[in-house]
Amino acid sequence: MTLDRRRFLQLTAGGMVASLAGSACTRGTGEDAQALAQPALLEMLGPERTREIGTRYRGAVPRENTAARLRAAISSSQDQRFPWIWRRSIEEQIRDDFAAGRTVVVGGWVLSETEARQCALYSLSV
Amino acid sequence: MHTDARTLENGTVIQGDLCIVGAGAAGISIAREWTNSPLSVVLLEGGGFDLEPEMQDLYRGDIVGQPYYPLQAARLHYFGGTTGHWAGWCATYDPIDFETRSWVPHSGWPIRREELDPFYARAQKILDLGPYEYDAEYWVKRDKELEPLPLDPNTVWTKMWQFSPPTRFGTKYRNAIVNARNIHLYTHANVCEVEANEGLSAVDGLRVRTFDAKEYRVKARCYVLACSTIQNARLLLASNRKATTGLGNAHDLVGRYFMEHLEMPSGELVLAKPQSTKTKMYMLDFGVTKARGELALSAQAQKEHGILNGTASLEPGTLGEQVQSTFQFLPPQTLKAMMAWEKGGRVGPPPLIASSPSAAIAVLQAPPAAPRNFHLITRQEQAPNPNSRVTLSTEKDPLGMPRVRLDWQLTELDKRSIRTYYKVLGQEMGRSGVGRVQLRDWLLSDDRTWPSFLSGGWHHMGTTRMHADSRQGVVDANCRVHGLGNLYIAGAAVYPTAGSANPTLTLVALSLRLSDYLRTKLR
Repeated sequence: MTLDRRRFLQLTAGGMVASLAGSACTRGTGEDAQALAQPALLEMLGPERTREIGTRYRGAVPRENTAARLRAAISSSQDQRFPWIWRRSIEEQIRDDFAAGRTVVVGGWVLSETEARQCALYSLSV
Repeated sequence: MHTDARTLENGTVIQGDLCIVGAGAAGISIAREWTNSPLSVVLLEGGGFDLEPEMQDLYRGDIVGQPYYPLQAARLHYFGGTTGHWAGWCATYDPIDFETRSWVPHSGWPIRREELDPFYARAQKILDLGPYEYDAEYWVKRDKELEPLPLDPNTVWTKMWQFSPPTRFGTKYRNAIVNARNIHLYTHANVCEVEANEGLSAVDGLRVRTFDAKEYRVKARCYVLACSTIQNARLLLASNRKATTGLGNAHDLVGRYFMEHLEMPSGELVLAKPQSTKTKMYMLDFGVTKARGELALSAQAQKEHGILNGTASLEPGTLGEQVQSTFQFLPPQTLKAMMAWEKGGRVGPPPLIASSPSAAIAVLQAPPAAPRNFHLITRQEQAPNPNSRVTLSTEKDPLGMPRVRLDWQLTELDKRSIRTYYKVLGQEMGRSGVGRVQLRDWLLSDDRTWPSFLSGGWHHMGTTRMHADSRQGVVDANCRVHGLGNLYIAGAAVYPTAGSANPTLTLVALSLRLSDYLRTKLR
């Protein structure tokens, strides 16, 4: 069987989209939700400070004071241009937050919005 | 030559070509440039070669406005001046420090940074510093362990400092001054008045007093006041017999724009990867370190945010903050699992390893020496402020001179700049993955109030600021007092803005520049 050039490109592109979409779909599973509540800040600041930051954030932004809303807020701040083929890692999302000035000051800490929400999720989980 | 003025007869008239008042960093830097010149130099020092309490007390004054250090402790009144106890920290002013910045009222020097470069190079030698190199790259090439933090230089750059031994001018340059045939040093010679001619267009002479009520006159072709920022202003204001508001003060500027550097602990830095982040470039081993960096906001970022120039230095956190057990960093669930694992006789792999192997291994393998936490210490210029000023007190000192009254005042821009700096630094630290920054509590309140530990760097600047326009400055670009043909000011008193760096290197450079200028005038 031979593939003409057009058919080859169609199959290749389709495969790439399926592959990217598959990996993107893993975000939102229970495992992922649990990981979201374990911010990298834990390693830097320790659990007490992280929890305190999370609690303060929830106090300052009451409309996000549930796990579902926090997860939704993290998810909605993803780049919406190509959501079906590209989702950034949380680390990238945090870095992009800092680069774009999407930061908040919580308890004096200059944090990305995403990681502040992660701290809030963490504070709800402990 | 040296004469103790107390040994002179009352009514003596001292004559020379150039008279320098004050033998501190500025006065000595100028005087030694004239060694072996055919012209005669009179160098007047109020104190002696050693500290004397009654001389220090002449500097005592009232403090109003923001709390400030006792003035008699802030400057040393003897040969060598305050270099007798300075720490030796030196850095150049940045090009932006000389510019007129629309967001900084009263900013702008009548000279550019490039004009000072050759004098900075000469000042390096006087202060026993290394090569005139303040680019981080230069120092990185000489020490592999030095590495700037990987920050975007368009936002935060590494500003380099060099460290003088520190040079004590009173010790190092005493013999050169005393042995110079054309320089005559008079100690215990306190100038109490600068006398102008009838037309107030030039200085006729100086009146000098001693504690035993003797009085002398000094007459020269040119006069340089180099007796410190506060004392220069005091002397001009007190010279009010003919000019009722004081000499050089036709526009009510003498004493105004007193500035300090705001030096205060302002934040914390926690590194994301302490083991792989090199910080030696920012560390100081006093007496050993030749150069180190501080984190400075770029000119572009200052403009974008409308703030003042400033830096932060890094100080490793105290021991108590560094020593944290591994378990303090564990999430509670993992900690619980670890305790259960311990109680259960350590069967199987520890939950710490099982839950997140790479992070756990990194923690366990971390050498204990790498600091993770750093205090961030601000060093920021103070905005030029006409209401921050030195005036005369009603009290007089034992020589009959009115004492000073310091009204140190800060503005909203000063505090907003510090807070904004740390926010921008925090964003850049996060973006680059270096770590996270915390602002201290006092920065989170309003922009008018200051904490009880408000402190300056013991740096006095302003009071006779430099400006081409006599309505906006006391001295012109050559440090000549506007309207007086032969009176000059040396030292940090002439700074229109304070820059973020300590003032000594720049004041020595400016003094050398003034000296060169006077050479052309007195030829």
